[in-house]
Amino acid sequence: VAVRSRARSTRLLVVALVSVSLMTITIDYREGDDGPLASAGNAALAVVSPLQEVVSKVTHPIGNFFSTLFRLPSIRHERDVLLERVDSLETQLAETRADQTRLADLEGLFGLRESLGPKVETTAAQVIANGVSNFEWTIEIDKGSSDGIARDMPVIASSGLVGHIVQVAPNSSRVQLIIDPDSFVAGRLDVSRQTGLLSGEGNQDLQMSLVESTAEVEPDERIVTAGYKIRDVAESLYPPNVLIGTVSRVLQQDAATEKFVTVRPAVDFSSLSLVLVVLSRDGAQ
Amino acid sequence: VRRFLLLSAVIVTALILQTTVFSEINLLGAKPELMYLLTICFAILEGPASGAITGFAGGMAQDFLLDAPKGITALTLTLLGYAVGMARQFIVSPSPVTPVVLVAGGTFAGVLFYGVVSFLLGQLSTGWLYLLRVSFLSAVYNAILTPLVYPLLRRAAEGSRSRRVAGW
Repeated sequence: VAVRSRARSTRLLVVALVSVSLMTITIDYREGDDGPLASAGNAALAVVSPLQEVVSKVTHPIGNFFSTLFRLPSIRHERDVLLERVDSLETQLAETRADQTRLADLEGLFGLRESLGPKVETTAAQVIANGVSNFEWTIEIDKGSSDGIARDMPVIASSGLVGHIVQVAPNSSRVQLIIDPDSFVAGRLDVSRQTGLLSGEGNQDLQMSLVESTAEVEPDERIVTAGYKIRDVAESLYPPNVLIGTVSRVLQQDAATEKFVTVRPAVDFSSLSLVLVVLSRDGAQ
Repeated sequence: VRRFLLLSAVIVTALILQTTVFSEINLLGAKPELMYLLTICFAILEGPASGAITGFAGGMAQDFLLDAPKGITALTLTLLGYAVGMARQFIVSPSPVTPVVLVAGGTFAGVLFYGVVSFLLGQLSTGWLYLLRVSFLSAVYNAILTPLVYPLLRRAAEGSRSRRVAGW
């Protein structure tokens, strides 16, 4: 009897609790988000949330650790994907940089062509090889006689004078640099208007001779080509006013009749990539 | 009074743990359901009446704290506590595995029931497959947690019972 009455009271209890639950559900359902039950829930939340904050501060790293542990495969996959992406992006970056360098070169050449004047005909060429010998300073370019290139044509880069054509093949030609010991260029000091002859010294700076000892030469003074033209008789190899370099050293010798001047070339010959060949200076080949 | 205090303390602790630690542990898209585990443990230890009361109190507490439709968890857990308590009486030979099995089955059925009631009230926005999956995973997690939680609760329950003069 005792067991049975206990079971009955338990059943009664459960029925009561279920009824209360159902009532709660109904009331909450009918009242929506604004009813007293919802506000009671918000109040309870307000009481408990500080506690939650404290506890979660302590346990957050632990939980993090476990969830990371379980997500390890997907994290590893993610890493692989990201590494791949980094690779492709790095390749793209390198390509973009190369393109930018080329663009800058081309822009420089374009500006140079503009500065030479409208009558001057030029063609752009790519440097394909440096000189083979230790005793001659030459480069090879990818344009030859089929592009209208002939011996003695001047070659200019965006930063300054490069040299002139010494050998022509159908599709390539060799350029003697101004630093070659066999190269001589007539140059003019930009400020003092003094002229002189620049000869190559190999890997050292150019030497400028035939400068009058009375001339005032300042270090870092610019030196440009001294073009001359005697109608129907002779013409200088290089067009006038192309930058050759800057004065690096001036040596005054009292007894001498000329100054000893060395000139640092404006062009970095080790990193040339694009040059301009001057085909003709007055529009006629 | 002592039992009431014990019950409140356990429920509050479980609630806070559920909303902090276990809300972080989201494994394969599901979380352990501490309140279900608690209800089932009490039902096994104390019988159907205690299970129903624990379930009702815990469910109500959870309903009011979580931004969920109120009363559904209470309903689910009341019935769950009662059912598990009743089932416990028919198990003749208790073994250490019994609570684990009961917790797993009870959690699965409970979460499923919760999903069905939510669906009937138009509160369930997920698919049936997801519901099954969550029920199953919660059952597994709770089963894993049982060997940790059950001995603790048994010690607490026996401690409070031994000081009582008369039993139910």
